[in-house]
Amino acid sequence: MPSPNPYEIRCPIHGFVFFNDWERTIISQPAVQRLRRIRQLAWTDYVYPGATHTRFEHSLGVMHTATRLYDAIVERSSETLRSELQYTDDGLRRGRQLVRLAALLHDVGHAPFSHAAEELLPRDAGGARFTHEQYSAAVVRTKLRSAIEDHPLAHNSGFTADEIASFLEGSKQARQSVFWRDLIDGQMDADRMDYLLRDSHHAGVQYGRFDLERVIATIVAIPDARGAAPRLGVSEGGWHAAEALVLARYFMFTQVYFHKTRVAYDIHLREALKTMLPSGVFPRPLDAELDEYLDWDDWRVLGLLAAGKGGEHGQRIADRNHFREVYHTPEVASRDDLETLQRVKDALGNLVAAEESASRSWYKTGDADIPVISDTKAVAPLSKYSSVLANMRLNNQISVYSRPEQAQEARNKVAEVLNRQ
Amino acid sequence: MTHLVRSALIAYLAEVSPSRWIGRTALMKFCYLLQTLRDVPLGYDFTLYSYGPFDSNVLGDLGGAVALGVVREELELYGLGYGYRIHNQLPLEDITQLGGHFLAQHQAHIHWVTQQFGTLSAAQLELVSTILYVDREAERYGETLTMDQLAEQVREVKPRFKKSDVVWEVRSLNDKGLLNSPK
Repeated sequence: MPSPNPYEIRCPIHGFVFFNDWERTIISQPAVQRLRRIRQLAWTDYVYPGATHTRFEHSLGVMHTATRLYDAIVERSSETLRSELQYTDDGLRRGRQLVRLAALLHDVGHAPFSHAAEELLPRDAGGARFTHEQYSAAVVRTKLRSAIEDHPLAHNSGFTADEIASFLEGSKQARQSVFWRDLIDGQMDADRMDYLLRDSHHAGVQYGRFDLERVIATIVAIPDARGAAPRLGVSEGGWHAAEALVLARYFMFTQVYFHKTRVAYDIHLREALKTMLPSGVFPRPLDAELDEYLDWDDWRVLGLLAAGKGGEHGQRIADRNHFREVYHTPEVASRDDLETLQRVKDALGNLVAAEESASRSWYKTGDADIPVISDTKAVAPLSKYSSVLANMRLNNQISVYSRPEQAQEARNKVAEVLNRQ
Repeated sequence: MTHLVRSALIAYLAEVSPSRWIGRTALMKFCYLLQTLRDVPLGYDFTLYSYGPFDSNVLGDLGGAVALGVVREELELYGLGYGYRIHNQLPLEDITQLGGHFLAQHQAHIHWVTQQFGTLSAAQLELVSTILYVDREAERYGETLTMDQLAEQVREVKPRFKKSDVVWEVRSLNDKGLLNSPK
């Protein structure tokens, strides 16, 4: 009998990523191939030169990881899935394929240079900013509809592009499958597990490493004792692995994602893009504008930067003449620290070129706790097991930047303010 | 909204809720209800999970409020499960000062939400907010549903609820004039 997933691509993290003919057709679509031209970590390579990997390899890695997590949960939590979500064997087989495709396509709507440019996504009629997930859903419904719906394997399962898009958006049309959204965007998601390992590998750091195999061996759907919805967590034997996952995220945030120089380049990219984009924001994920949006990738931006179209900030990127951090609050800032920050900013006046907040970063840490279930079926949060995590607070650091030519003057003023305290 | 204003909002929600503390589910759903039913511009982007509308930024803001010492969180273990209790840590006048114009402008809406929904359990809040999410999505796409159809769509998301329980909750929300899609 032929293998259900006869194709494979080498992956530096997972060895091989396997996929079937239907998935191969989808991966070959121009909208998915565009992810080869979007770097995962924007300008992080200006700090960690190896970090030049793309959303394409990450997307394949998330599909692989999500599948392994899904299979482990189904094997270990069959009873919960059947009683709480009324899954049947057929439903679970179908759910597996849905999770694979959603994982593969979750980032297909990314802007150039990934999260660095997300502040330039436009707002909808109600004033809310479009998200890259909404772009991903729009791409699935339009550019990928035929590849998703017209393949013989799709006919067997009756999959529609709308079903995958609804899952990505978190729409009621996703029905009971919304449970699996936690595998794509949650505290125990495949996206996070893949990017921590992958970003660590390419950046050449060890901070993002954790025991993925142990997490997979212990992940479980945990029912709520008081009738709320079940959540993904780990059995008791996996709590150290889950702790390591949370700590990996913390270390990667402080050492890579919120690195002061990396953040400076995000500022320059954002400002350069404002100069390049016709109305200062990306086109909307609607009708013909979606085509215009998809024309924006790293190659196009790099071409415009090379042609001198990025203004002052484009030139700063080209010359590596980035803004300098002149002050930052502690990682866990108190109200007193925020008052000091305000005094520093008042003293600096127009020497403040930019201000960036860790708590608004896409990679921010410190949200949900992970449930842990014991052999006696008692459930407690991971922070109850881990004294390290029990004392962990949200990183709400705020950093202030000045132009390099004014950085020394700014630092002198900061020192004056701090000396007066 | 600044960190301090968001922190003040969380502290105020805890302070004026009937028990003078709220759980994490209540915080999440109160924010959703404020934004959806009272048009309070909190700027969250709620999407649907099996536990109802959710935006991780709400928990991020809670973490910020804890870090700033505006609220305190206590873990509560019970039987086979657990929950959290979020307590305000500041005198009311300090919260009002931190919350500034935003809090003053929306104070009545906060009182309304905590009075209407403040005694519901986490499971009930998940159900109520899911009904509202499904209702608003149907309205956005121009669907007109009977109350039975709305209840059925909610059950597709949360199949473990009995149809009669969901229908009862749908009717209750409709009687209060909070639903937009039923004909």
